[in-house]
Amino acid sequence: MKASKETGGRKLSARTKGYLLLLLMVVVSWGIFKIITPDNFGSPKNMLSYFEASLLAAVGAVGFYFVMVMGMFDFSIGANIMLSAIVGCVFANRFGLGYVGLIVGSILTGALVGLLNGSFYVKLRIPSMIVTTGLALIYESVANYIAGGVEQTLPSDLRAFGQMPGNLILAVIAFLIAFLLLNFTKIGTYTYAIGSNEFVAKNMGIKVNAYKILAFVISGAFLGVMAVLTISYGSSMVAVTGMASMSRNFVPTMGCFFGLAFKKYGMPIPAIIIGEFVINIIFFGFIALGAPTAIQDVITGFALLIIVMLTTKVAKGEIVK
Amino acid sequence: MSEIRLEVKDISKHFGITKALVDVSFNILKGEIHALIGENGSGKSTLTNSLAGIYQKDSGTFILDGKEVNPQNQVDANNEGISIIVQELGTLDGLTVAENIFLGHEDAFVKFGIKNTNAMNRKATELLKQYGFERIKAADMIENYNFEDRKLVEIVKATYFKPKILVIDETTTALSGEGREELYKQMKRIKEEGNTVIFISHDLPEVLRMSDSITVLRDGIYIDTVKSSEIDEDGLKKLMVGREVSGKYYRADYDEEVSDEVVMKVENVSVPGIISDISFELHKGEILGFGGLSESGMHEVGKACFGASFDREGSVTFSDGTKINDIPTAIAHSIAYTSKDRDNESLVMNQSIRDNICLPSLNELSNKLRLLNDKKLKNFADKFAKTMSTKMQSVDQFVSNLSGGNKQKVVLARWIGKDSDILVLDSPTRGIDVKVKQDIYQLMDNMRKEGKSIIMISEELMELIGMCDRIIILKDGRINGELKRDRNMDENVLIAKMV
Repeated sequence: MKASKETGGRKLSARTKGYLLLLLMVVVSWGIFKIITPDNFGSPKNMLSYFEASLLAAVGAVGFYFVMVMGMFDFSIGANIMLSAIVGCVFANRFGLGYVGLIVGSILTGALVGLLNGSFYVKLRIPSMIVTTGLALIYESVANYIAGGVEQTLPSDLRAFGQMPGNLILAVIAFLIAFLLLNFTKIGTYTYAIGSNEFVAKNMGIKVNAYKILAFVISGAFLGVMAVLTISYGSSMVAVTGMASMSRNFVPTMGCFFGLAFKKYGMPIPAIIIGEFVINIIFFGFIALGAPTAIQDVITGFALLIIVMLTTKVAKGEIVK
Repeated sequence: MSEIRLEVKDISKHFGITKALVDVSFNILKGEIHALIGENGSGKSTLTNSLAGIYQKDSGTFILDGKEVNPQNQVDANNEGISIIVQELGTLDGLTVAENIFLGHEDAFVKFGIKNTNAMNRKATELLKQYGFERIKAADMIENYNFEDRKLVEIVKATYFKPKILVIDETTTALSGEGREELYKQMKRIKEEGNTVIFISHDLPEVLRMSDSITVLRDGIYIDTVKSSEIDEDGLKKLMVGREVSGKYYRADYDEEVSDEVVMKVENVSVPGIISDISFELHKGEILGFGGLSESGMHEVGKACFGASFDREGSVTFSDGTKINDIPTAIAHSIAYTSKDRDNESLVMNQSIRDNICLPSLNELSNKLRLLNDKKLKNFADKFAKTMSTKMQSVDQFVSNLSGGNKQKVVLARWIGKDSDILVLDSPTRGIDVKVKQDIYQLMDNMRKEGKSIIMISEELMELIGMCDRIIILKDGRINGELKRDRNMDENVLIAKMV
């Protein structure tokens, strides 16, 4: 009946099991590429840079987790990151507001996009996937209009969040806030309650629609932070259109799947962070191998499916949707 | 004379064109256990759900201790001193036991927006200890516990704050002996403290034993309120149904020989941790009963026979030698199964009555090109829903809007429509009123006479004794006795083998 199991006469807590599984994934993914391409992959310095790169998506993923746990989805992640980064860059650069403009502009834009996503979803009563797909087109166009069709570049003196320790500090702050919201506020409890049974949650006096909107706002704000890290890391942002921003959805979403898979171990946030690290190890492993992009995508897709399948370990008879 | 705790005044409620409650008025006193009885669909749950804030009434007033109350949700109701334990599962996955107990009441543990999880767990542990449920750990995820333990958590959740009125909606049938005793204990405690329990149950002896007064509803209309000490079971049945209900509830025959023809052979079936080494034969035209404590493994036997058990060892063999290892094979060989967990395992809740009844018969209902005809489906569903006297607007109505008894009728209609030869019925009368029970017993008897075979799994010993040709008792996952139909058999013989 209990979650923990006896192993060798000693009890292994669910959380310890979760961490061991994640550690195993890091070691296995590193080990495979290290064996295949020992010279240009996986040195301690390399691993640190993979980890730095993984922080970007991990920040977005911990925010997106609030939306996904409630059973909703967001296809406008990429458009949000793009729009937030461009607004942040414009505030910092064109309006001369520096770091304050970059951070406040990006996070507020992200949160506003989340508010729009949540409000449209709740008020129009249209599935979140459809609402956010439609809105993504609008966000892309707005970003393109603000950028004037020109690549927005962040001046070199405003790129502290693109390198150590700025990126790590900002990411850690974001992770701590997510952890706090999820485990030590009513928001976290209600997020899980709504995800489990909306009807019962409503009967418990929980304002379901308000919390759904809040989940989108939280997700948007974290994507705003991801936008700060992204433009600081890459130094510029191009406002693409025609749903091209969707390509940015994949990595944060996969990290989120790690969080959902490890929810039962009581450690979704660490799972997202380490999960994103694993994704980056695989990604950089392929680069080190010089594999063609198409092959990289195929193998990465399969690898991630296998990882999630092995870690999720759905109980027999449990319904998966 | 005791003071009035709750005045129910002219309460009305409708769902679509169905009038669930029509100007219902009666009083409930302080310090009493007040039973609410009636057939399925009579409006009992609608009334108490309206009182507890789950539904919003259309008109009328609830006056609690002289003050009008109109809760908008369960937390509102809790704040007014009203609490409810619902018929189905009322706890939420993804939350801990403590979070479930205090859901909606977290503010007591929140300071400056930060929730003190340790304090919440400590308080929940203290409560669980008080109730004698120490084995349930406050910090554990609720999904680590089974249905019954989750019901025990609901008892704590609904009673820890000493409500003025506790509504218990058909909960006892979901509980085994220990759980029932605990619930009875809490009911008595609440009464002794001068508070009130509204008790909904279809188990009339239990109602008579536990309650002080009884209100009867029929088709959403108030019929009468009587003192428990001044009425007997037959009197209650008459009030519920509106006519005399025959005392001939179960089968009357005792000396009929069961055919030697074996239709299903179960050999050395085990499911790790649940049942071990179960072997028996089911004969043509036989009703074979399975009894035991809730956790004895008897419910798994039903799943094993239907090919629905996971990690099953041993064999289940149909009369033609086919091994039943999965559900499609079972259905193809005319085996039907109804689960104890009706809402989650037997019905597709957000689909219509038509879809639910037609589901296993779509092959038979499709034409040569495997296309389905809407009218044909509707007629098929309508025919069997009416055979079961299902109370509904039409077969297009969603199953989720039906009462518990009518949901069960839909499940049975599905398998009658399929014309199954072997029926595995797990708790077929759970949460069912006296009239429908009688119908189901009659249906089972008719099927037996037609040569169909039935496995009946039940926690109600009297129905096993009354309906079965043979009864197998399980204890700790193993067969602990087998008894043949005997007019002199009583509950004590079975209980002795169960515990």
